[in-house]
Amino acid sequence: MSDQEPVIVEGKRVLGVVPGTPPGGERKVLDEQEPVMVWPHLLVRHGVAALVVLVISLLLGLFFNAPLREIANPLNTPNPEKAPWYFAALQELLSHFHPMVAGVLVPTAIIVGLMALPYMDRNPRLAPRFRKVAVATFTLFMVAWIILTLIGFMFRGPNWGWVWPWQEWYGEL
Amino acid sequence: MKVMERVRESTIGRSIWRVPDRATERDRAAGHWANFFLHIYPVKMRRKEMTFRYTWFLGVASVVLFGSLVVSGIYLMFFYVPSPASAYGDMQNLQTEVAFGQYLRNVHRWSAHLMVLVVAAHMARVFYRGSYKSPREFNWVIGVILLVLTLLLSFTGYLLPWDQLAYWAVTVGASMAGFVPLIGETIKGILLGGDTVGSATLLRFYVLHVAVLPTAVGLLVTIHLWRWRKDSMLDSGGVDE
Repeated sequence: MSDQEPVIVEGKRVLGVVPGTPPGGERKVLDEQEPVMVWPHLLVRHGVAALVVLVISLLLGLFFNAPLREIANPLNTPNPEKAPWYFAALQELLSHFHPMVAGVLVPTAIIVGLMALPYMDRNPRLAPRFRKVAVATFTLFMVAWIILTLIGFMFRGPNWGWVWPWQEWYGEL
Repeated sequence: MKVMERVRESTIGRSIWRVPDRATERDRAAGHWANFFLHIYPVKMRRKEMTFRYTWFLGVASVVLFGSLVVSGIYLMFFYVPSPASAYGDMQNLQTEVAFGQYLRNVHRWSAHLMVLVVAAHMARVFYRGSYKSPREFNWVIGVILLVLTLLLSFTGYLLPWDQLAYWAVTVGASMAGFVPLIGETIKGILLGGDTVGSATLLRFYVLHVAVLPTAVGLLVTIHLWRWRKDSMLDSGGVDE
């Protein structure tokens, strides 16, 4: 043995190989339900997530300038007159329904409904396929809201008339 | 790392970190509890709840964006006076004269839009995960309040540049408040400080934007995270999968 070249595995000299299985069993199976230390397991992931978010916002700032139009003039109403994009769905509703409905009832119902959701949905199941009613209702609401937001933001032009965003653009961020 | 260990084990190091020895999990848990920044986290969590798939990290993304908005916002505050006579000029000055003024304004603007998106997406993710179920009902309610506060923060900030975009967007938004029966005009009056958007509105929105709403968000986020930590190992009584 002594006159042979040593076998090197990953920088370590192998002195011998013991037959049989390792005392800790074969490969360790990761248990998804097993509690593990937040530090480092979660902190590392949160650190990476934080950096990704920061990089995205810092790069956006590098490439796109925030808009600044001419000075506010109460005598010169722009056409169309647009609310910020996150209120575009409400503004779109306002053009179809009575202000009492679109401006008061709908937003109040949404906020109260969201707050009441965990008290109304008492189904203990977690997987979406066992919560069809709740998932369908929420998804329907979300899709409707996103469509209304997109319409109000991109598809509305002067006098709140319909425009195609690839022809005329009136969205403002 | 050797240097860091020596520092930790010195008299001063022990007074700061208190738990210098991080050899076992028990030591690390103790160090975790003794750290102000880490104590908002639970010590242990289930492995699957730490994965990207589970949360998409939208909660932590919201907190990071809020932090970035506070930092960039404080910088902007140094160069801005909330009065119709100076606000717009301050914005122009900020974009042309102030070091990194345009850049920090850009970051503030895009982070604000992103935060609205991310907070809304966080809510949707929590819904589909079923994480609002007992015993976490009230934390969901706090989350809904935080969503509303995020929208109000964004909306109050929208007026501050005092350009045509800001002025008319806020005019449209505030007109909705006027539709509330009986008290609508009163609410609108309190919000605007007059019949139309003017100097009183600008000052009110500014104070709400830089003082009242961020404090409220900070407080509620603290409660939100505290409840998240307390509930982190509880089962909702339901069966997953």
